[in-house]
Amino acid sequence: MTINQMAEALGLRVLTAPEGERECTGVYIGDLLSWVMGRAQCGDVWITIMSNINVAAVASLADVACVLLAEGVVPEEDVIRTAEQKGINLLCAQQPAYELAVRLHELGL
Amino acid sequence: MKELSLNILDIAENSVKAGAALVQILLTQRQDTLTITIADNGCGMTPEVLRSVTDPFYTTRTTRKVGLGLPLLKLAAEQTGGSVRLTSRPAGEDPENHGTEVTALFHTNHIDCPPMGDVSATLMTLIQGHPETDFLYRHERPGKPVELDTRRLREVLGSDVPLNSFEVLQWIEEYLREQYQTDQTNQENREETET
Repeated sequence: MTINQMAEALGLRVLTAPEGERECTGVYIGDLLSWVMGRAQCGDVWITIMSNINVAAVASLADVACVLLAEGVVPEEDVIRTAEQKGINLLCAQQPAYELAVRLHELGL
Repeated sequence: MKELSLNILDIAENSVKAGAALVQILLTQRQDTLTITIADNGCGMTPEVLRSVTDPFYTTRTTRKVGLGLPLLKLAAEQTGGSVRLTSRPAGEDPENHGTEVTALFHTNHIDCPPMGDVSATLMTLIQGHPETDFLYRHERPGKPVELDTRRLREVLGSDVPLNSFEVLQWIEEYLREQYQTDQTNQENREETET
């Protein structure tokens, strides 16, 4: 499943998707960035409520397929801009992380 | 808490609740550390209470004299490899010189360091909610420090103008914004001349 397909299936709001055709291969949930940095896998959909600029750095470092902000969190404009520049897919949703994970599981992740 | 300005608001509210006449909020930004000090002249805490305020269970089980502000500040600082130091002199011990001082050290280049957020908004909230309390704010950073002292405002305005009147708050907001902006412009100019 690609990022664009996931966004469509879950009705996610796409903040920026410079790599919208990227395939997602797993899911990781976490908010402590230093922890996520060492554990999220390449190709994961990373679900978090953190939205500062360091999220973009960790997403880039861990090479996740996208950052999915849960619980209605919307980042500052400069975070969206940075994500766009660095080729990071950034999406958001109203649902909490658990609900998003369940839906993703149903979609085969 | 996702932004340090919210931590600051929480701790400063504790100071106000402790009956402080003056709350000092001092930020010192160095190369890769940030020190936040919130010092008040409120009623202070006994050594027993002082030991327990960073224990979230103690504070939620009692009548909650202090909220979760300190445990959360401690967590935020320690997640960056920093620390929190707490000192207090209770009024019962020294009626002349009492109060509490909270100092938090953050390593700003640590990935888990929360962003500063809008400190000006925090100050506005404090002044708006507690127009009788005095606040001294000083943010030392590369360039000119940003400062606001409500005692000086009172001197100029006189005692019959409340600090939470719309015009005063609007002026404070603009005053802080200008100081931060000037600093930014200077810094940008410096960077330009360097390159």
